[in-house]
Amino acid sequence: MSTFLVFVGIPAGVIAVVATLVLSRGDKGRSSRRYRPGRPYDFQPIWFLAAPEQVHALAIGQAGSHAQPALEAVVENSAGERVLPGPTGGASDRW
Amino acid sequence: MTVGEQSLSALEPAGGAALDGPFTTRQLLRLDDALRVADQQTGLTFSVYLGELAEPARESAERLHKQIEHAATAVLIAISPNQRVLEIVTGPDARKRISDRDAKLAALSMAAAFAGGDLAGGVLAGLDQLASHAGKN
Repeated sequence: MSTFLVFVGIPAGVIAVVATLVLSRGDKGRSSRRYRPGRPYDFQPIWFLAAPEQVHALAIGQAGSHAQPALEAVVENSAGERVLPGPTGGASDRW
Repeated sequence: MTVGEQSLSALEPAGGAALDGPFTTRQLLRLDDALRVADQQTGLTFSVYLGELAEPARESAERLHKQIEHAATAVLIAISPNQRVLEIVTGPDARKRISDRDAKLAALSMAAAFAGGDLAGGVLAGLDQLASHAGKN
């Protein structure tokens, strides 16, 4: 009986422990969250800023103590949209 | 304020979306750090938008750019993985520091990383290149 326990019970216990550890890793979360080109990307839009209050739509009415003086010549057109004094630059690309 | 607290504040506009997004916590922390370092070194305002852009993508990226405070010195990197489009928008003042050619160069290396499926790496590389082209404040 004890031979049976040692040679079957212990290995079975070890297998059970390893299987539990492997299956409980929750592998699905990490691998499916990764972006893969060509696969649909269905996450919410995210906007990263070092200081979130810098987004105009969110910053209305909360003038922070570190707010810079309004030297910037931002004008608004008749529709109330912000218009920059000069042309914007940058670049575009596709992959 | 510790790094952890700051990074949480940086993720605030996105709310829980940032944590449910395509990045791991470690990548989010690195991204936050890169944004903060880029802002501090250059005096410009860097930001990264990741999500759908309405067609035409260039116009919608410019519209987002205008929403940033001090948009003249702001640099927006807008990425739409579904459309596989990447737009870098520099404000009029930022454009004097980051020429369109420099922006294109950063865009090329970002697109190369995205094509390999590395979103976080591409964003970090692009931020780093744009910040080094802009030079010190």
